[in-house]
Amino acid sequence: MGGVTLTSLRKSYGTTPVVKDLSLTIASGEFVALLGPSGCGKTTTLRMVAGLETPDAGQISIDGRDVTTLPPEARGLGMVFQSYAVWPHRTVAENVEYPLKLKGLGRADREAKVKEALGWVRLESLAARRPDALSGGQLQRVALARALVANPKVLLLDEPLSNLDVQLREELRAEIAALRARLRPTMIYVTHDQGEALALADRVAVMNGGVLEQVAAPQVLYGEPATPFVARFVGGANVVDAISEGSSVRIGDAAISCDVPLPMGRGQLVVRPEDVALEPGAGPLVTARLFLGGATEYHLAIGLKAVGSAHAGLAVGQPVRVTLRRARWFPL
Amino acid sequence: MKRALALAVPLLVFALLPLGRLVFTGLGHLDAIVTPDAMRALRGTLLTSTGAAAFAFFLGLPLAVLLVRTDLPGRRALRAVFTLPSAVPPFIFGMGWVALANPKAGLLNLALGAGTFDIYGTVGIAFVLGACGLPLVVLAASAALERVDASLEEAARICGAGPLRTLAQVSVPLALPAALSGAALVFLFSASAFGVPYLLGVTASPPTSTLTTHVYALVLMGSGGIASAGAISVLLLALASAVLLASRLVKSAPLASGKGIRLRPLALGALRWPLGVFAFWLALALVALPLAAVFLTSLEPSFGRLEQLSLQHWQRLFQTPRVGWAALRSLGLSLAAAALVTAIGLAYALGRMRLGRAGRALELVASLPYAVPGTVLGMALLLSFSVDWRVVVGERIAFVLALANTLWLVLIAYVARHLAFGTRAATDGLTQADPSLTEAARVSGAGPWRALLDATLPQLKAPLTAAFTLTFLTCATELTLSVLLVPAGSDLLGTVLFELMSYADPAAASVLAGAFVLVVLAVQGGRSLIRTA
Repeated sequence: MGGVTLTSLRKSYGTTPVVKDLSLTIASGEFVALLGPSGCGKTTTLRMVAGLETPDAGQISIDGRDVTTLPPEARGLGMVFQSYAVWPHRTVAENVEYPLKLKGLGRADREAKVKEALGWVRLESLAARRPDALSGGQLQRVALARALVANPKVLLLDEPLSNLDVQLREELRAEIAALRARLRPTMIYVTHDQGEALALADRVAVMNGGVLEQVAAPQVLYGEPATPFVARFVGGANVVDAISEGSSVRIGDAAISCDVPLPMGRGQLVVRPEDVALEPGAGPLVTARLFLGGATEYHLAIGLKAVGSAHAGLAVGQPVRVTLRRARWFPL
Repeated sequence: MKRALALAVPLLVFALLPLGRLVFTGLGHLDAIVTPDAMRALRGTLLTSTGAAAFAFFLGLPLAVLLVRTDLPGRRALRAVFTLPSAVPPFIFGMGWVALANPKAGLLNLALGAGTFDIYGTVGIAFVLGACGLPLVVLAASAALERVDASLEEAARICGAGPLRTLAQVSVPLALPAALSGAALVFLFSASAFGVPYLLGVTASPPTSTLTTHVYALVLMGSGGIASAGAISVLLLALASAVLLASRLVKSAPLASGKGIRLRPLALGALRWPLGVFAFWLALALVALPLAAVFLTSLEPSFGRLEQLSLQHWQRLFQTPRVGWAALRSLGLSLAAAALVTAIGLAYALGRMRLGRAGRALELVASLPYAVPGTVLGMALLLSFSVDWRVVVGERIAFVLALANTLWLVLIAYVARHLAFGTRAATDGLTQADPSLTEAARVSGAGPWRALLDATLPQLKAPLTAAFTLTFLTCATELTLSVLLVPAGSDLLGTVLFELMSYADPAAASVLAGAFVLVVLAVQGGRSLIRTA
């Protein structure tokens, strides 16, 4: 099995840089999620690994072999596309069989492997169907079987669940996790859904504006975000400009007490909504109240969001005393 | 419902009834079909049309794949050149090939030695019709390929297929159904063609006869031949219907599966330039060369002589009153036909919503005169209106419909033939138009007509202009209907061109054809300029 190493990759479309000097090492058998907002360069990075885009500079190696200039067909990969890319002129079995055919496998061998792969995704009964008779979830299972049937060293997935509705998405997410446990390929998974990334990956690489913001295990990413962007994108944290006075911070003209000591000076305060405690008293006004089911979200005039069930009874327009139970500080 | 009837009556009188009458008459003279001449004509039509369809298919499908899915150099310009023949009458291309490959005096034969090429005969007809029908395959396959998500091809690459294998095993199969139905259209177009088989078939040795030229020959014989001509037309109609039905059976796979469709040209690598050069030469040979030959012929002092080129033929022709009158008549008829086709098409599209099932039936009837070969429509009108129609109300004659040997019948034929252009363009345009724009105008206080004028029509400008231009250009040199229906002494551009080329004066014919090609190029160029502006 093969690891993937990206060294100083650069790619521009016209004069717009999309990927800027990106380096990342992925161990053999590891599952790395590339996470970021649309336009951050994550899909371009994946397509460069696939050989579908050529990097302007930098090097890509798979399993220790430099593949930077190799065409996609020579890289021995599997790939799952957002749009399924299941060929409408071939049956389900013929779709899955195709990579084996190109490898020159004999007929009996191919049939056995196709059957096995369709078993992985529970589609044996649909082998003879045409794709136009299949649902989106079934199509993406066909694509998974086709990507894995030739036992590739590396499996690339480009937003594989984005075109599916919520329930199917969760079902297929579990299926990908199970397939991974069984076959153990090296996996690179592009998504803009932080839930998917955190749930599936060994490590998550957060991209923004063509560069990596942080590469870390999901727990680390959530608990110790390296940048305000990661905190906001991954945890949905509040990020506000503030002035720290040790045990309290000033946001605008409101002073807020903080249970953990912060370094003095100007900086960006990062605090999760569940770490903002509210009680009636002197302080900023509540500007909105949103009932979310399990909890209630409060928006404050100073730009902070708080989530909790303990604040019940606070009304819009009421002043509240704010205490931060935990916070991170990024000095300017 | 009243409006539906108002639309339906002229359609019934001018399209459906004459076609019915033709079939009725033809079935009464089935003995005319089993003559050796008729069988030879059927054989000629089958051979030339199959040849043309095969030529267009085997060239057009790979061409469409190269033009749409790859990084072939200059593919946008090439696409424009390869689709140009759809705007120029096939007869003019036939003239160009006569100038190039006439066995004795053709320019290619002068260059390569006499007798190298012979454009006359079955093979020549199939080749010229196939080259003229090429856009039908290229456009149909291109439209299908543009709806193919690039990830379908990328998935093949990841699976281990190289670029050429990807094109052959993914792109081509996806475009195959569309290309096949395009090829069926080329067959229909070739079976219906009159000018090219006449020009290249009648003087060939041995002569190649087709159903359309055989009908014309029978009509020239006078009243005795008309019934036989009707029977042959019914044979042609049956052939065309069978091909049309067969082509409907080809089922195409739904192409756009996912949401985001991306067109990412496939890199041809080392083959990029060789294939590009090949496509360039092909465009030159199939499109540019015959058109250039037409211009060259109009400048030569006599056929096949390249020294002392001059504008003398142009001067001579434009001083001929007969040509001037023919041009005026054609201009008037084509403008009137284009205006009527556009107006009726718009009225039909606006009324369609309210008509429901009747509307769809009406659309089918409206498309009938275009679906049947021009010779069939011409024969139908000729048969039905060769006698005057007296409409009697009570004891008195209310009015007499005397259309035989008038240009009115030609106008009716032109409008009936191209009605489908108007109905299609207007319905498609209206389906794509945003109804809320019209509704906003109504809410703002505009009445229904005012809202139509201010909010709906501006959205339909592009499709209606296209329908008008297409009808005008097609009618301006229309040949198939005109040779059957034009009264003696009222020549039109098409019939003058046909006469000059077939009998007397290829140089003068080339001047007319050249002038028409210039008009087409100007109109096409103007339209693409407007589109990019």
